[in-house]
Amino acid sequence: MKFKRLVERIALTRPGDFLRRNLGPTVLLIFLLTFPLWEGSVSGPVHIKFLERMRLVGIYTIVAVGLNLLLGYAGQVSLGHGAFMGIGAYASSLLALRAHVPVYLTILMAMLVAVLISLIISPILRLRGHYLAMATLGFAIISFVVLREMTWLTKGNEGLMGIPKLSLPGVEVRTMGGEYYFIWIIAFLILIFSRNLVNSRLGRALKALHHSEVAAETMGINTSWYKIKIFALSAAYAGLAGALFAHIHSFINPGIFQLNLSIILLVMVVLGGMASIWGSIAGATVVVFLPKVLEAIPYWFGNKSLTQWFSNNYSNLEPMIFGIVLILVMIFMPSGLTRGLSDFFRYRRSPFVNPLKRGSGI
Amino acid sequence: MNETHFLKVENLTKLFGGLAAVNDVSFSVDKGSIKAIIGPNGAGKTTLFDLLIGVQQPNSGSIWFEGKNIVGYKAHQIADLGMSRTFQTIQLFGNMTVLENVMVGRHARTTSEFTQVGLRLPKFLREERKIKEEALKNLELVGLGLQADKLADTLSFGQQRLLELARALATSPKLILLDEPAAGLNTYEIEELRNLIYKIRDMGITVLLVEHNMGLVMRVSDEVLVLDYGQVIAEGSPEQVRDDPKVIEAYLGVEVNDFGGEG
Ligand SMILES: Nc1ncnc2c1ncn2[C@@H]1O[C@H](COP(=O)(O)OP(=O)(O)OP(=O)(O)O)[C@@H](O)[C@H]1O
Ligand SMILES: [Mg+2]
Repeated sequence: MKFKRLVERIALTRPGDFLRRNLGPTVLLIFLLTFPLWEGSVSGPVHIKFLERMRLVGIYTIVAVGLNLLLGYAGQVSLGHGAFMGIGAYASSLLALRAHVPVYLTILMAMLVAVLISLIISPILRLRGHYLAMATLGFAIISFVVLREMTWLTKGNEGLMGIPKLSLPGVEVRTMGGEYYFIWIIAFLILIFSRNLVNSRLGRALKALHHSEVAAETMGINTSWYKIKIFALSAAYAGLAGALFAHIHSFINPGIFQLNLSIILLVMVVLGGMASIWGSIAGATVVVFLPKVLEAIPYWFGNKSLTQWFSNNYSNLEPMIFGIVLILVMIFMPSGLTRGLSDFFRYRRSPFVNPLKRGSGI
Repeated sequence: MNETHFLKVENLTKLFGGLAAVNDVSFSVDKGSIKAIIGPNGAGKTTLFDLLIGVQQPNSGSIWFEGKNIVGYKAHQIADLGMSRTFQTIQLFGNMTVLENVMVGRHARTTSEFTQVGLRLPKFLREERKIKEEALKNLELVGLGLQADKLADTLSFGQQRLLELARALATSPKLILLDEPAAGLNTYEIEELRNLIYKIRDMGITVLLVEHNMGLVMRVSDEVLVLDYGQVIAEGSPEQVRDDPKVIEAYLGVEVNDFGGEG
C-alpha cells in the first residue's frame, strides 16, 4: 500500500540514516581536525595566518549559531549579542583574575552570567520587529557604558590585561594549535547540538512562531516562553564565545564589544544564511578572512607598500566593506551563501536572483 | 451544573472600541455533536472563535470547557486542554513542508526538552518517530498523504484548507473549531469535506463549525446557532432555524436593504 511505503520512507529510520545525516559534519570534522597539520604549507605562500584566524572563526561561529537560532529560526532580531560576548568575556576574565577560579570553570560561569542577564532583560521580547531591534540596541549601549564606567571592577577603557590562558583541569592551553582545538571542539559540539535542536519539535516550534504566532499558540506552543528560552540559549553561546575570546587574547576592553561587533555578528548570520546552522561557519569565515584576503592580495602581486597602506587603513574601511558585501548579498543572494549554493547544487537553480523581478528571492 | 456541559458559554461579550463584536452570547455544545454557527458578514463569528480559543480575551462572561472556566487562559494552554481550530484566513507555516506543519500540531502532546533533543536521547527519538507517524496518519485522513514532502506554500487553496484541518487534528483535540472550511472549495471538495466532518465526529471529536455554505450547514449539523450584530438571534435544529422569521430577516433583510440602497 502506498501509505505504508510512505510511512517507511519518512518515519522509520533505516540503517544508512545515521551516515547520511552525519556525512557533512563528518567531513567537516575531519577537515577541522587535520587542518593544523597542513595549513602551514598554505599559510606561507598566500600570506594569511590561517591557524590564528581559524580560532576566531570558531569563536564567531559559536555566536552566529545562537544568533541564527534566534533570528533565522525564531525570527527575533538582536543587536545585543556583541554585548553578551562582552559580558561573557568580562565575567570569565574577572573571575579568573580576581577570584583565581580555573578558566575551564570561569567559562561555564560566564555562560551562566550571560543567561541570567538575558533572562533579566527578556521582557523586551514582547516587542516585535524594529521595536525589539531598538530595545536590544539600547541594551548594547547600556552594557558598553556600564563596562566602561564601572572602573573599580572593569578598569574602564584601560581594559583588563594579563587574562589567563585557556585551561583544562591540570593543563594550560598555551599553543595556538591547542587553542584552535579547544575552541573548535566546543564549536563543533555546539553545531551538532544546535542542528539536532532545529530538527525537532523545538526547532519546528521556533519556525512556527516565526511564521505565525497565533497559529503556533493554537498548536500549544507557548510562544513567549520559547522566545525567552532561545534568547537565553543564544546569550549562553555568546557568553561562551566572549569568554573564549578573552582567554586567547589576554587583553580586553569595552570598545571591542561595542555595537559594531553586534552588527558584524548579524552580518555573519545574513551572509551564511538565515535558518541555516552550517551557514554560520560560512558567515564567520567570510567575515574573518575577507580583510585578510584583501590585505594579502597586493602582496601576491609583490606590492608591499599597498599592503602597508591597507593594513593601516583597513579598520576604518571595514564597516564600509561589510556594508557593501551585505547589500550585495541581500540584493543578489537573499537566502545567504550556504542556502544559495546548496539550492544551486540540489535544484540546479541559480543562487543569484534578479532583484528587478518581483517575488524572486526567498 | 456547569460540569454537565461539554462546552458552555455564558454572557460572553467582546467590545472593539464602541462596537460589541460579541454581545452577551450564551449557548452550549453537547459532546460528540456537530454545531454550526452562522450569521451575516461581521456578525462576530470569528471573534467568538478567537475568544473560545484564547487568542482574544472577552470583556465579560465565562467559557466553561469540561467544567473549567477557561477565560483568561492562554491560547497554548487551551490547546493543551484539547481545543483546536482552523483559520478563516489560512495561517499555515508556509516555509515548512506539509508534513512538518502537521508535526507542529503534535507539539501540545509531546514533551522532549532541550537536552533530550540536543543529545538525541532515546526518549526523543521514540517521540520524534511517533510524531511523524501520527502526523502522517492525519495527513492521510484528509487525503494529503502524498503531498507530505512539499512546501505548504505550494499547495492549492483547497489543499491548504485541508492541511489546516490535519494540523488541527494532530493536536488530538476534543473540540475542533472550523472557521469557514468550505470557503473557496468546489462542490466536489465540499462533498469530501462533509464526509471528513462526519469522520471527525466519529473519532469522538466535537465539531463547532462557522460556515456560509447553507447547503453544508443544513446537512451536516445537529444544531445551528445564528448570530447577528454579535447577538444570538436563533438557536435550534437546522429546520427550526431555517424557518425562523428573524433569521430570514437577518439574511434577507440585509440583502433587500442593500439592493434598495444601490438601486
Ligand atoms: N481586531 C479587531 N479590531 C476591531 N474590530 C474588529 C476586530 N476584529 C473584528 N472586528 C469587528 O468585529 C465585527 C465582527 O467581526 P468577525 O470577524 O468576528 O465577523 P464574522 O462573523 O467572522 O464575519 P465573516 O463572516 O465576514 O467572517 C466586525 O464588525 C469586525 O469589523
Ligand atoms: Mg469570520
